[in-house]
Amino acid sequence: MRIFHVFAACVLFVAVAVAQQAPPALVSIQEVAQGLPADGSRWLTFGGNYANHRHSPLTQITPANVAQLKPLWTFQTGTLGNFETTSLMRDNVLYVTGPQNVAWAIDARTGRQIWRYRRELPPNLTACCGLVNRGFGVLGDKLFMSTLDAHLIALDMKTGAVAWDATLDDYKTGHAATIAPLVVKDKVITGAAGGEYGIRAFIDAYDAATGKRAWRFYTIPGPGEPGNDTWAGDSWKTGGASVWVTGAYDPEQNLVFYGIGNPGPDYHSDSRKGDNLYSNSLVALDADTGKLKWHYQFTPHDVHDWDATEVPILADLPINGQTRKVVMFANRNGFYYTLDRITGKPIVARPFVITTWAKEIGADGRPVLVPGHTPDEKGEVTCPDLTGGTNFWQPSFDPSTRTFFVNAREVCMTFIAWKPTYIAGERFTGGSGQRVKPSESPAWGALRAIDPATGGMKWEFKLLSPATSGILTTASGLLFSGDADGNLLALDSRSGKLLWRYQLGATMHGTSPTTYIIDGRQHILVPAGTTLTAWALGDAPSTRD
Amino acid sequence: MTWRLLSTVVVAWILIGPAVHAQTKNPYEGNPDAILAGMGGYRVRCADCHGTDGRGVRGPDITTVWSTGRSDEGLFNTLRRGVPGSEMPAFAAPRTSDRDIWEMLAYLKTLAAPAPTDPPRGNAEAGAKVFRTMCVACHKVDGRGGRLGPDLSRIGTGRSREVLMARIRRGSEDFRSGYEPVTVTTADGKPIDGVKKNEDLFSVQIMDTRERIQGYEKDKVKAVENGKKSAMPIFGPDRLSDSDLDDLLRYLQTLKGFDPTVKPQQ
Repeated sequence: MRIFHVFAACVLFVAVAVAQQAPPALVSIQEVAQGLPADGSRWLTFGGNYANHRHSPLTQITPANVAQLKPLWTFQTGTLGNFETTSLMRDNVLYVTGPQNVAWAIDARTGRQIWRYRRELPPNLTACCGLVNRGFGVLGDKLFMSTLDAHLIALDMKTGAVAWDATLDDYKTGHAATIAPLVVKDKVITGAAGGEYGIRAFIDAYDAATGKRAWRFYTIPGPGEPGNDTWAGDSWKTGGASVWVTGAYDPEQNLVFYGIGNPGPDYHSDSRKGDNLYSNSLVALDADTGKLKWHYQFTPHDVHDWDATEVPILADLPINGQTRKVVMFANRNGFYYTLDRITGKPIVARPFVITTWAKEIGADGRPVLVPGHTPDEKGEVTCPDLTGGTNFWQPSFDPSTRTFFVNAREVCMTFIAWKPTYIAGERFTGGSGQRVKPSESPAWGALRAIDPATGGMKWEFKLLSPATSGILTTASGLLFSGDADGNLLALDSRSGKLLWRYQLGATMHGTSPTTYIIDGRQHILVPAGTTLTAWALGDAPSTRD
Repeated sequence: MTWRLLSTVVVAWILIGPAVHAQTKNPYEGNPDAILAGMGGYRVRCADCHGTDGRGVRGPDITTVWSTGRSDEGLFNTLRRGVPGSEMPAFAAPRTSDRDIWEMLAYLKTLAAPAPTDPPRGNAEAGAKVFRTMCVACHKVDGRGGRLGPDLSRIGTGRSREVLMARIRRGSEDFRSGYEPVTVTTADGKPIDGVKKNEDLFSVQIMDTRERIQGYEKDKVKAVENGKKSAMPIFGPDRLSDSDLDDLLRYLQTLKGFDPTVKPQQ
């Protein structure tokens, strides 16, 4: 009789389970590689797809109806610090990283927390530029997160429990990690930040299942390796060249493309004579082995802190009657580049903001320098400033109109340099900068649409002050971004005309909105300040009768 | 035995502890490399307020800090901790190391000047009367006065005599944030003058000359125009005699901070 009851209970449980919707399969690499699907059911990589287009195929929200957007919910992170994340979305759940090594799974329908993860920060952490994080990577049942104490960890998607924990390097020597990992095949790719602390940085790949390191590419070549002689003396040992912004992946060539940070010390020229490879370069690496295929150095021997840690965008473009496989790159140094992604040679290189340090990019691919722009103890004025013509906030690319969009800055600065002393774990910059007085040179910004075939500007939308927001575009012809004063902006991506705005109360710093479909409605998800807010057309959430 | 050990530790801490925690003398004074590095650090962190020559702009003249009695250690602590309630920020670790501070002080020492020996000019009591006549409509001191201009209750700690004199006699085109002159012209053509408290692409928030604080949406007014001249009038010798100016400056230099405690009426 007792056995019968147990059997009956089991039958009932199975029947209920069958009646419920089956859980989705684990996240496959094919799903990740597919990018943003037409049904809007997921967002699984930093840039939306491997090419980093940050361009959605969704068309429910259009230039005609965007002004009817309504907030659905707001999630309060309760965590101070710049909120630079790109949230991932799958099966109606958002996966979000925040400042200070905190992360959440959130119900995308209601904004209610499902789980929260927090990693204890060491008390003497020296992360350079804010205790930030730029997002998860995902594969199988695991989320991957770079941590401020220079680890890469895997979390269980369903619970937030740590599945494995790999050490990149010692945080006490100034190593940190803030980058959103990129998942390629069975590997998770991350990088070391800490360029202001005299580290020797690297790009790492780890086995997604076990956390075992598969390969490492040092961004500064060691003795005997090609390029080591571009660093005078022992300066390569403390040369920085950090990696903190997610790269792109070209499956056809099996190459990943990563922008590399500034050489250290940032401003003091005599401390590290030479070109200082591979600082301020774009490197193309074999995704299986980490071997260098080619590099292009945007700013040889940089002395203005112009990390090339902007987001590379891949596309196949008709240029001069030929289809070219290109990588597009708006650089902190003020030049926009279209490079051949097979050879790494520039096809287009043209200023997209006022630049005073170089006349042009020469036929040999090197900048033609204007004398007088090496900072010293007395200072010299250069445009752009140290934050650059743009920076790590994401550009976008609309393949239908072949337009590259960037949030640009027009700012000049007095750069000052002095000889620094290297002490492990301490800042090692050898200088800094002061903004030129507004009465002498006003600072402002603009959202700009660039033709990547020529580098010419199609349109611009001027901003009162230089902004730090990324850009999302959609197939319906919308561009979402923000300004420095907390305005969320929606423009017509074909004309630059302002269509809608909302005062968020905080700038959307270092990130852009994302978009997806929940229950048939297109959502726009906006991280700003300490909040995450979802917007959609139509009515706000209904009240229960 | 335990007591003896304990007392030895206490004595050792008293003798060694303070030496470990506080450097009393700048270890880099006179070091040419440190002075050069300190020049860079000074120009980045200090020159905006104290001037490239250290003689003061928005902040006070700091060339006479040693001759007026400040010590290396005291100056180090001022840089490290800032001055609460003033515009002087704290230069905190790890962004600014101990060495960075000592190098800046090593450079500043090369600019050091003797304390002024000229007898002070002007009469502060007479200057207070000038202030009440000419300045009080826009500036507050010790809780009394207008709000259109900055509160001057502690102006004597932050500005040199020369800087104050230049500001009164010649004005300035560099406006302090929150006091930029602006004119909003309403939809019906009425101009409203004031100072700007905030602005974005779509709106501006001002205090008008009647001290009304109000926001305006740009697409609902005719114009928002930034003024080219400060809302602070220029007081040439025709409006303020040299003697009255001396008195006023002497008074302003006595203003070291507002005491908000309520006192019995005199």
